[in-house]
Amino acid sequence: MEPTTHHLYSLFHEISGYIYPNEIELHWKLLIVIYPYLTGLVAGAFILASLVKVFNVQQLKPTYRMSLLTALAFLIAAPLPLLAHLGHPEKSYEIFLTPNTTSAMAMFGFVYAWYLGAVLLLEIWLDYRRDLVLWARKEKGVKKWLHKALSLFSVDIYDKAVRFDKKFVKIITIIGIPSAFLLHGYVGFLFGSIKANPWWSSVLMPIVFLFSAIVSGIALMLIIYMIVTMMKERTVDRACLEKLASFMFYAMIVDFSLEILDFMHRIYESEESIKILAELVSGKLFVSLIVIQLLIGMIIPLMAIAGAKLFKIPFELKKIVYFVSALLVQFGIFSTRWNVVIGGQLFSKSFRGLTAYKMEFLGLEGLMVSLAIMILPLFILWFLFKVLPPWDDARNP
Amino acid sequence: MLKLWKKFPGQLKRLILIFLLFVAALMTARHFLIPHDYGQYGNYRGGSVHEIANLEVKYAGQIVCVDCHDDIAEIKFAGYHKNVACEVCHGPGAAHVEDSDIELTSPRGRDLCILCHEYLPSRPTGFPQIVSESHNRVKPCISCHDPHDPVPPEAPKECSACHGTIARTKSHSYHADVECVYCHQASPEHKVNPRENLPSKPKTRDFCGKCHAEDADVEFGIPRVDMDAHEKRYVCWQCHYPHLPEAGQ
Repeated sequence: MEPTTHHLYSLFHEISGYIYPNEIELHWKLLIVIYPYLTGLVAGAFILASLVKVFNVQQLKPTYRMSLLTALAFLIAAPLPLLAHLGHPEKSYEIFLTPNTTSAMAMFGFVYAWYLGAVLLLEIWLDYRRDLVLWARKEKGVKKWLHKALSLFSVDIYDKAVRFDKKFVKIITIIGIPSAFLLHGYVGFLFGSIKANPWWSSVLMPIVFLFSAIVSGIALMLIIYMIVTMMKERTVDRACLEKLASFMFYAMIVDFSLEILDFMHRIYESEESIKILAELVSGKLFVSLIVIQLLIGMIIPLMAIAGAKLFKIPFELKKIVYFVSALLVQFGIFSTRWNVVIGGQLFSKSFRGLTAYKMEFLGLEGLMVSLAIMILPLFILWFLFKVLPPWDDARNP
Repeated sequence: MLKLWKKFPGQLKRLILIFLLFVAALMTARHFLIPHDYGQYGNYRGGSVHEIANLEVKYAGQIVCVDCHDDIAEIKFAGYHKNVACEVCHGPGAAHVEDSDIELTSPRGRDLCILCHEYLPSRPTGFPQIVSESHNRVKPCISCHDPHDPVPPEAPKECSACHGTIARTKSHSYHADVECVYCHQASPEHKVNPRENLPSKPKTRDFCGKCHAEDADVEFGIPRVDMDAHEKRYVCWQCHYPHLPEAGQ
């Protein structure tokens, strides 16, 4: 038996009802689950950074630079699942050379390039410029030249120039918020605009994606902030952590409401697909949607944070509650992406049957490659922290 | 202009230079990497249309075959294979038209015919299908069938020869022992011209009632219904599939 046939043959026992022959195998697999998950983290981390600059939430200042670098690290890794899924990465530059404005997918390169070049890199460069110049003056060897090159051999650090940097950063952050919305709203738009698929086709999709992105981004920053502080043997800034938990809580409330709204809307509309979708939710997606996404990833963390805020408990215990809640939220949001991408392909377009997804272990679309792509941003982040230390005491006075 | 440039802060000058460099790099890349005829007709290379149009023509088309082989064409156009073009079986014939010394092939084995005639449940009912594993295994198809006028050498005795899917479905249903002719009456002409001579179907509810009515004189175990109360407006087979009556309604 051919390997492909063998792979599909084992799925036969999992199929229920009637499906069309080309629906046995899913075409968007684990890599396409990771792609919106990573871009969501980017958008969320950036929104958190903009809370400091645009909305002047001073308590979150310790996480500002960290959020920007995290957004950059995850943004660098974000197109990798797409390149691995599509194949021929050497041809990817062509979407920039001959843009096809009628294809949402083909425009991703421009959304990505805008966000990377016009927003994130620019903001990081302007925010770090003064420090880069001063670091380069004190350092020797490779680091000196690296920082010099990164500052683009800039030398002006007098007050007027720094004031200009600050003003410029604020403008970019203001442009950055709609850009972050565009980046992740775009991913939701891709799914929401597939009108043949009732699980995806919804105008709420970009908005739900966006708020789940904000939730996951803030949760990620809470985790990174706590781990990095612990690793550097410093004390966690209480006000900062409380604010992070509060913002995560608010974003989760909005996200939860939107998801419930979407759910109620679908049930009230009861289009012809409702029966198969109900079967999908109560069967194949029960664990990932009801248990992990809703219960473990949303209700338990919401109650835990609310409990920690309402009752007087020691700060040490609060830290644990927030940390575990943020971890659970990550599982929940990953599950959200899974349920959208995989769930949307599990039911037949005949609305009469369900297929199954069998994850590969090795191979380009398998578990190992996906794990590698998920871990890669953490290594990039570690490198960025080395080159551009975000800690307050690394700043020059 | 130079005065304005001098007024810019140093960092802005650097960013503008990088931006200009980036735009220049993109324009250079576009100049060298995009084929000159890209976009002539659409989002592809215009020249590719001419390249494809200039590919060597391999197929001649059925009309050209008929010019010389009119005797065979006459038989073929009257038979069941009238819609199968000559080159489907004999291969591309453009070279043969140019030079008659180049001979075309004729399929002599069993591989080609079963591409269409091997039994497949998704093929339309009535389409002649065989299970090649059990159908005269050693003989090439053309030893019994003339591909230009493919009628069976003898009229099939069993309905299942053409109605394989129904026969297979019925064979494991509760109606397995009910003969086809019990419900369908077909004239002998149906075997020759099936679509012009369709077999009959039960027209009344009483036909099914002969076995399924409450007062039917048949053996114990057959499901019964009250024929006067049960969905009187419909003939039974509008809701129940007689070839697999236990399937859902």
